[in-house]
Amino acid sequence: MAGVMLNTFQQIDHPVLPKVNHDERSRQEFSKSLKNCIQQKILPGLQTVYQTRAAKAFEKTEGRAPENRRDIRKAMERDLYFQHYNCINRVAQELIWESVTTSIERQLPELIDTARALSAKSTATLEIDPGFKPPRYATALDIHCMPGGYADEFTEDDVAVAALYDRGVYLYAMGFIGPYNDDMGRSVCNYLQRNVPDFKPTRILDMGCSVGHSTVPYKERFPDAQVYGLDIGAPLVRYAHARAKGLGHDVNFVLGNAEQTQFEDESFDLIVSHILLHETSGKAMPRIFKECFRLLKPGGYMIHADLPPFTKMDNFSQFILDLETYYNNEPFWGAMREADQIALAEKAGFRRADVVFDTAPMAIMELAAAAQAGNAAAAMDTNSKEFKSGEFAPGGGWEVLIGRKAAVQA
Amino acid sequence: MSAEVKVRRDARGKRPQFYDDPANDTLMSMVMVLASELCVTRDRLDTIERIADEKNLILSREIDTFELDQEALAEREQRRQDFMDRLFYLLRKDISELKEQDTGERYTQTLDDIAKN
Repeated sequence: MAGVMLNTFQQIDHPVLPKVNHDERSRQEFSKSLKNCIQQKILPGLQTVYQTRAAKAFEKTEGRAPENRRDIRKAMERDLYFQHYNCINRVAQELIWESVTTSIERQLPELIDTARALSAKSTATLEIDPGFKPPRYATALDIHCMPGGYADEFTEDDVAVAALYDRGVYLYAMGFIGPYNDDMGRSVCNYLQRNVPDFKPTRILDMGCSVGHSTVPYKERFPDAQVYGLDIGAPLVRYAHARAKGLGHDVNFVLGNAEQTQFEDESFDLIVSHILLHETSGKAMPRIFKECFRLLKPGGYMIHADLPPFTKMDNFSQFILDLETYYNNEPFWGAMREADQIALAEKAGFRRADVVFDTAPMAIMELAAAAQAGNAAAAMDTNSKEFKSGEFAPGGGWEVLIGRKAAVQA
Repeated sequence: MSAEVKVRRDARGKRPQFYDDPANDTLMSMVMVLASELCVTRDRLDTIERIADEKNLILSREIDTFELDQEALAEREQRRQDFMDRLFYLLRKDISELKEQDTGERYTQTLDDIAKN
């Protein structure tokens, strides 16, 4: 079909990534192809359905036009086209996990052995307090319908849910976060290099690091720095520690809660998170900002890369994005986008003038542009102009909340 | 193959109902699983054909470790997307009717019109 990009992105293998046989691989590829089909071919029809049918039906029964994303959802939920879209999208999500889980169950003992062996070779620390309890917002529902969530353990030294996340999130993102699932970390690193080229952090903390996808790029960019990844699931940090070593890096990982970590005051120059905040809660998010402020050295930066607030988009886009809240087990997804994050950062101790929202261009897009232009600097320049001009850049950039702790405290 | 450790397969959190009749939710999931298996089978045949072409030799171990080149990846993805176009032809039809304002009323009018004129 003309105009539809053929997505043949492939994840790059590493020692702890679960291996697949022919049919497992095909089932996984099917789930990725299905997501691609839904986004490129079925989703665009929702706009037509809304304008030509659902909004009119809503007006007929309610006696008024839909006014916000909730009205739009109410209007659309009665429409059969939307019901198909929504149901197929949910099934696609379930098939991702189903197709990966089968391969993991088959090889779990080998995966655990590989992780143990790699971790043993790392010169970096792996801290797991067996008494640690993950917070309720991370365990009450299995976020994005991933069976077992981030913290379930089925056997000793288990890494099953982490392996599931590593492979599953690649399929979920259809490869758009890069062959190592690390595009957010890479993009923030590029952003730092471009905007604060003299900033050379010596201690870096990645909060909500999951399996360390975005943590590793900081170690690559700042090889002399001590880099720490922190998360609430023991399987995640175990797998992350081994995965980093498998990719040739010694990165420290810690089991802990970003609301209250075990680190000392003013012990980091740079604290980052990538798609963490929307998986926390109304009470946890402000605590995380406060914890960032406590942990930062004067002059240090906090950077949270997540998705844009609702104020940056129209009602229909809000409705589309908010479907994750109701149909994909993302309880804080919608509420997080309503929060005034700049005010929260200010309450946590940052000066208002030192907190901004910005867009970090996606590293994989820059690489693609660079390959075309044959000149990395030219590609970066082009991208900067493009991203500065837009309100937000879906598919082109990550939304980043940046706070700098004042060099001298008032 | 029986695995020693069973991992969790169903996500915590009540599954939403998408259709007025919940039977349709179950049926849609079954249809999509069947669709997936059909693709898997086609992929497997494709692999067999490619291996046979290359080596005139078919071994199941080779099938599981066969690496696809970029051209093959693109061919497969095109085939899957074509298949999904067929799978969701009714959704395409729905949008086409909306865009062309093709309604039941217009259909009846056409019948009347053709009967009379």
